[in-house]
Amino acid sequence: MGTVLEAEGLLVGYAGAPVCGEVSATVGAGQILGIVGVNGAGKSTVARTIAGRQSSLAGEVKVHGLLIDPDAVPFRRQVSAVFDDDLFFPSLTVREHLLLVARGHSLADPEGRVEEELEFFGLQGRSHAIPDALSSGQRRRLLLAAGLIRPSSLLILDEPEQRLDPMMRVALGERIAEHARNGSAVLLVTHDPDLLLATASSCLVIDDEVRELEPEQGASIIAGS
Amino acid sequence: MLTRESPTPDRRLAAEIVSFTRRSARRYKRSRISWGERFVDAYSWGLGIAVSLTIAASFVLALRNEIAGRASTGNSIIGTQWLILPEPVLWSAVTYAFLLVVANLARKLGPITVGGPESTWWLSLPIDRRPMVLPPFLRKVALTGAGLAVVYLPFSMVTAVNRTAAEHLVASATFGAAGVIAVTLAAFQQLDMLGPRAGRAATMTALLACAVLPAVPASPWLAAVAGLAAVVLLAVAGPRTGEVRGEELIRGGAVAGHTGASLFMMDTNEVLRALGGGRKTVDGGRAAGFFAKPVGGPLRALIRADVVAFLRLNPPLIPSLLWMLACIAMLLVEGGLPEFAQLAIVVIAGCATASGMGGVARKTALVPELDALLPLHPALVRGSRTLMPCLAMAAWMAVLSGLLVFLGASDPALIAVGALAGVGMGAGTLRSATKAAPDWSAPPVDTPFGPVPRAQLGTLMRGLDVTILAMVPLLVGLYLGYTPGIVGIVQALFSAGIVLVSVLSRPKRA
Repeated sequence: MGTVLEAEGLLVGYAGAPVCGEVSATVGAGQILGIVGVNGAGKSTVARTIAGRQSSLAGEVKVHGLLIDPDAVPFRRQVSAVFDDDLFFPSLTVREHLLLVARGHSLADPEGRVEEELEFFGLQGRSHAIPDALSSGQRRRLLLAAGLIRPSSLLILDEPEQRLDPMMRVALGERIAEHARNGSAVLLVTHDPDLLLATASSCLVIDDEVRELEPEQGASIIAGS
Repeated sequence: MLTRESPTPDRRLAAEIVSFTRRSARRYKRSRISWGERFVDAYSWGLGIAVSLTIAASFVLALRNEIAGRASTGNSIIGTQWLILPEPVLWSAVTYAFLLVVANLARKLGPITVGGPESTWWLSLPIDRRPMVLPPFLRKVALTGAGLAVVYLPFSMVTAVNRTAAEHLVASATFGAAGVIAVTLAAFQQLDMLGPRAGRAATMTALLACAVLPAVPASPWLAAVAGLAAVVLLAVAGPRTGEVRGEELIRGGAVAGHTGASLFMMDTNEVLRALGGGRKTVDGGRAAGFFAKPVGGPLRALIRADVVAFLRLNPPLIPSLLWMLACIAMLLVEGGLPEFAQLAIVVIAGCATASGMGGVARKTALVPELDALLPLHPALVRGSRTLMPCLAMAAWMAVLSGLLVFLGASDPALIAVGALAGVGMGAGTLRSATKAAPDWSAPPVDTPFGPVPRAQLGTLMRGLDVTILAMVPLLVGLYLGYTPGIVGIVQALFSAGIVLVSVLSRPKRA
C-alpha cells in the first residue's frame, strides 16, 4: 500500500496566526483519515491547506512524495476536493456541470458517467435545471457528484454530510468507502459520528493539540461535543 | 513541486471546455431574452451613449475655445505668476500619473482573472489554463485601449489646440496603445517574473517612456512605435497567461466582480471597499502603546479607538500629497487655465483627498452594532468618528492654502480659512461613508430631459454635497485674490454647520 499523503509539522492559520496545533499525518492508498473537532478548531483550514486552497504557515505536505502545488496539472489530476463552495455557472444545467468535469478529466464515456452520478445522487429529475432552481441539499449533491465523478488518488471532503438527508448520508458513506477500496486515499472532515464510524480507518482530533485516535474514540468525541 | 506536463493536448481540451461553457451559457440566455428586449436594450444604450457624447463634446469644445482665447484674458486665481511650469512638462506629468493609475487599477482588478464559478469548475481541471484566461484578458486589453483612445481625444483637443483633426486622432491612438502597454505590464506583475518590487519599478519606468506623448508632436510613426511595443508585450505575456497562479486568478476575479457590481449599483462606498479589500498592510501593532494607556470615560476611550483605527488603516498619505502637487502644478501651467477650471481643480483635488479619509467610518458603517457598544449618544459616536478626518483635512487644506498664499494667490488669512474648510470637508467624509446603498426600487422622476433617477443620484451625491459646500467660502477668497473678514466668518459658520449636520443626522439605512 503506497503512501499518498504525508503532512509533517503542518501549521495552518490566517494572517500568520495558527488556528490549531501542528498536524502530522500519513494516509496511504485505500485509507480514510477522519478529521474531527469542535467548531473553529481548524479542521476545514487543515483540509483547505492540504488541498492547496491556502498557504501553510509552517511544515510541509506531500502528495505522492511531491510538495503540493495546486497550479500543477498532475496535482489537479490526482487530488479531488469538495468544500462548501456554492459557486455554479448560472446558465449551465446540473447535467452540463457534471459533463464539464467529466470531459475536463478526459473520461472514456463522459455522458454515461454523468448519468450514473445523476442516478446515484438522485438528480435525474433535475438534470436540466440550473443550480439556482435547486434546493440547498440538491446543490450539495451536485458538488459531491462533481468530486466523485472524476478519478483521484486523494479525495478531500469537508463536512460532506452537511445539508444531506439521512438516507443520502448512508449512501454517501458507502460510496466513500468504495472509493477508498478502489485505491484512493480519503481525507474526511466530519461532524457526523455515524459517517466517521462507517468509513474512517483512522481519526485525527484537531484542537490546540492534535491527536491521532481510533475512529470509535473520535465518534464519541463528536457525540460529546 | 510537482513537475508540469506538456500543455499542447491539454490546451485543445481546455479550449473545448471553455467553448462548451460559453455555448451552453449563450443557449440559456437566448432562451430567456427575446429579440424585442435585445432591441430595446441596444436602443437605450445607443441613445444614452449618443446623448452623453453630445454633452461631453459640447463641453470639451467650449473649454477648448475658452483655452484658445485665454491669452487675451490672462485671468488666473494667482494674480502675478512668478513661478511658471512649462506646458509640456505638466501634461507629461498628468499623462504619466494617469497611466500609473491605469496600471495600478488593472493590477488590482487582475487583469488576468477568473470569476467565482470558473474558479470552482475550471481551475480544478487538470488542463492548461491558457484558453480559459487568455480570451477575456485580450478583450479587457482591447477595451482598455479603445476606451483610453476615446478618453484621450478631448484631452488632446483641450491641451493641444493647434493640432489638426487627424493629429488628434493619431495622438488618441497612441495613447490607446500606451493604455494597452500599462495593462499588459500589470499582467507581467501577475506573472511575478521579476518579484513584486522589481515588477512595480519596471512598470513605473516603462510607463515613463509613454508619458512623453503630450510633449512631442503627434505623428503616425510615434503611434506605430507605441502600437508595436504594445503588440510585442502582448506577444510575450499572452502565451504565459496560463501560468498565473490560481490564487492570483481568483483574487483578481473577486475584486473585479465586487467592483463591477458596486459600480453597476452606483454604490461608491462599496467601490472603495472593493478596491481597498486586497490591502494586506493593516499594522495591528501600530499605536498599540497609545491605545493601552488608561483613559477616563467612554467618550475618551472611543476617541482613542478611532484615532488608533485611523492610523492602523493607513490613511492615504502619498495620494494626498500627489493630489496637492497636481493641483498646484495645474495652477502654475504656462499661460494659465481659465479661472473656473482652476477653481474646479482645487475642488476635485479636495474631494478626492477627503474621500480617502473616511476609511474608519466606511468600515464601521458595515457593523452598526459597534456604535452601540459604549453607553454614548449616537451623535457623540459620530463626532468621535469624524475627529481624525476633520484634523487630517484641516491640515491638508492649511498646507494647500499656504502654498497658494506663497505663490501669490491671496493673503495669509487664507490659510486659516483653508483649515476651517478642511474641518467641514472632514465632516463630509462621515456623511459620505455612512450613506446607504442606492435604493433602486425608487421610481425615476419625470423631467423635461426624460426620466431621472433622482433618489439614486441623491444618494450618490450624499457627502460630496457638503464637502463641496464646505469649500465655497474658500473658493470665493481665491477668486477675489484676498481674504476679507466676512469670508473667514462665513467659512467658520459653514464648517460648523456642516459638522453639526453630519454629526446630528442619523445615517439612512437601506
